[in-house]
Amino acid sequence: MDKVIKLTKIFLKNSFSNMDARMGISTKSKNKILIYGILFLYFAGLIIFLGYNLLDGLIAIHQETIFVGMILFMIFGLAIIQTIFSSINILYFTKDSEYLLPLPLKPYQIILARTNVMLIAEYLIIFLLGFIPLVMYGILTGAGIIYYLTMIFAVILIPILPVLFISIIVMFIMSFAKLTKNRNRFQLFATLLVLAIIIALSISTSGMQQDLTNEEMAQMVVKANGMVELIKGYIPTIDYLMEALTTNSLFTAIVEVLKTLGITIVGFIIYMLIAQKIYFKGLVGNLFGGGASSSNKKINQKEYRNSKLYKSYVGKEFKNLARNPVFLMQCLIPAILIPIVMVVVVYAGLNSEGMGLEQITQMLQQMPTNTFLIACAILGIIQFFTMFIYISITAISRDGENAVFMKYIPVSLYKQYMYKIIPNIVMNIVTIIITLGMAEYILHLPITTLIALFVVATIMGILQSIAMIIVDLKRPKLNWDSEYAVAKQNLNLVFPVLLAMLNIAIMVGAVFLLKDINVYLGMGLLGILYIVATVVTNKYLYNKQYELANKII
Amino acid sequence: MIEIKNVSKSYVKGKKSVDDLNLEIKNGEIFGFLGPNGAGKTTTIRMITGILNIDEGDILIDGKSIKKEPLEAKKNFGFVPDSPDMFLKLKGIEYLMFMADVYDVPQNKRKEKIEELTKKFGIYNELNNQIQSYSHGMRQKIVICGALLSEPKNWILDEPMTGLDPKSSYDLKEMMREHAKSGKTVFFSTHILEVAEKLCDRVGIINKGKLVFVGTFEEMKQKFKENASLEDLFLEITEK
Repeated sequence: MDKVIKLTKIFLKNSFSNMDARMGISTKSKNKILIYGILFLYFAGLIIFLGYNLLDGLIAIHQETIFVGMILFMIFGLAIIQTIFSSINILYFTKDSEYLLPLPLKPYQIILARTNVMLIAEYLIIFLLGFIPLVMYGILTGAGIIYYLTMIFAVILIPILPVLFISIIVMFIMSFAKLTKNRNRFQLFATLLVLAIIIALSISTSGMQQDLTNEEMAQMVVKANGMVELIKGYIPTIDYLMEALTTNSLFTAIVEVLKTLGITIVGFIIYMLIAQKIYFKGLVGNLFGGGASSSNKKINQKEYRNSKLYKSYVGKEFKNLARNPVFLMQCLIPAILIPIVMVVVVYAGLNSEGMGLEQITQMLQQMPTNTFLIACAILGIIQFFTMFIYISITAISRDGENAVFMKYIPVSLYKQYMYKIIPNIVMNIVTIIITLGMAEYILHLPITTLIALFVVATIMGILQSIAMIIVDLKRPKLNWDSEYAVAKQNLNLVFPVLLAMLNIAIMVGAVFLLKDINVYLGMGLLGILYIVATVVTNKYLYNKQYELANKII
Repeated sequence: MIEIKNVSKSYVKGKKSVDDLNLEIKNGEIFGFLGPNGAGKTTTIRMITGILNIDEGDILIDGKSIKKEPLEAKKNFGFVPDSPDMFLKLKGIEYLMFMADVYDVPQNKRKEKIEELTKKFGIYNELNNQIQSYSHGMRQKIVICGALLSEPKNWILDEPMTGLDPKSSYDLKEMMREHAKSGKTVFFSTHILEVAEKLCDRVGIINKGKLVFVGTFEEMKQKFKENASLEDLFLEITEK
């Protein structure tokens, strides 16, 4: 066990030193504490603000216990989403595996240490998004000591099963790595397959809603804390813990926690048994099997054709993103996947409350939709989706030590920055089109409004792209040994979120200030604001193009 | 022609990594840049190629200042960096075509030049594979091909022989000789003293940021110990 703890510490240290180096704060511990502190307070404040408003509303209609259920579901869902994106990288794509295999370690020790890293990464986020709202619930409802003790168990136990479940799916798929002739293509295929399986599973389980008549629904809503019944019956451990958290009986709480603990332990034993059988097969296959792609195909004459530099450069950027499984998952896929997953989740949620999309659409269409308020709401949603596009924020760092290439070729740095952000702008536009498509389907907005929204959102996307490459130039992470260090364990990724939050705050402010303004006039004003911001940011990038590249050496 | 004029560079205030360096590499010359680890070789090469800013002095490549006219100066050289692990996700042919686009290699010359270079280095049949599937030596070869594709007048090579097999190393040396014979310049850094002795018209030895010797090997022998081995001479110069 001692070796497991030591291994876990080393894996974690590696991750965090990457983050520290990224922030340029490895030696200044005071600064480190300050930066982490500010980030923590910012997000904690945001969560308390949102959570308080929601809980306050639920208490007013005597439905506060549904808040506990929602938080537990959210922890579970977060653990699934996080693990989908991190497990394949942590388990297979880190380079240290190659150095670990020859060491005198037992397979279970490596598996346990890797699993610990995944879980600890979950707990950091869950502390913010789960622990804080649950404590808030306890305070606002005057809960006793039983609640707080049960809550600690709940926060610790809930993420374990989803992490183990997703990891097993990943291990199963990767166990075929040895058989493949083309390792790179297989890595890509495995990553996409994991995503497809999880989406298929979540869609199929969302169809398992209880068949309730309208009368039954109405009764539940009227009955104190009756709404909580609506979210029961999906995941047993959540049901047990919900019961434990909302009961006044110590005995019931202990029994329910023990039931959850029992299921988790059984799940863990099954996980270890399967993992020990299949993990190393996949790991060795992925590291050494099959070799990289190899072809003896003759070069086609077309391949000698020259193209414009911008096409060639942007093409190189896209190829680098699409052919690298980690970059593909972290930078390209979210632009398409996140809006789609959100729609699935919202649709499933509405369905489970007995409302079909058609009813929602009808209800919304009865309201005036072509308003500044709705337009700002759509822009806010687009901001929420596009903040997960990490192409620009990693544009320089993705090149690693090879980034010096930019400095010795006879192409101006500004031009190269522009070529590097084009994929970010393109993926922004993809997200915007998907989101506007969904909005159009639900709200039937006039084409002119859609065009106005598209234009403003695209300008915001260009601003994001330029601003984020500036951040990456100021804090580049060039000495990495795993792509994962750039695309995930990278505190710079908080900057797109901060910018999106700022933009959402501007939308909220605009709605308050310009309440009844004509939608086109409002969009025009927002458009002008963002054009000015984009021009100023772009001017800064142009004027400082050489100074900004000083850290690329 | 490469002219390095009174160039200095400090990473830490008060400690010069390169101190008042003056060098002129003439047309038709192969110039070897030698020095122990940390002497300032890579820093110098990085300043010549525009990767690092110059604190004091200037560097001219065929009369163009890397400080004042960086893009014009960069068109005048082809550079092979010390690490060939670049653009690993691109296929060999994609990388070469990208370099051809960057350096504006005319359409009618591309095919001929790519075939000539890659066949010489024995990697022509690998061009349709991703660079990450190449061995270290093959990566070194594709990077060299990329740098030489535009037929630059000045070659700047940082440790170019590392990882090359004897045949490729021989071919590269022959290419360097041919290049110099046609009146162009080769500037390269190396640790292999024998290569420098056999190949270079002149060498420069840098130690602790200062140029401690410039000249031919004959001049080096005359200046120091006539009968000493090359290794002894190098050690005497750099450990003084």
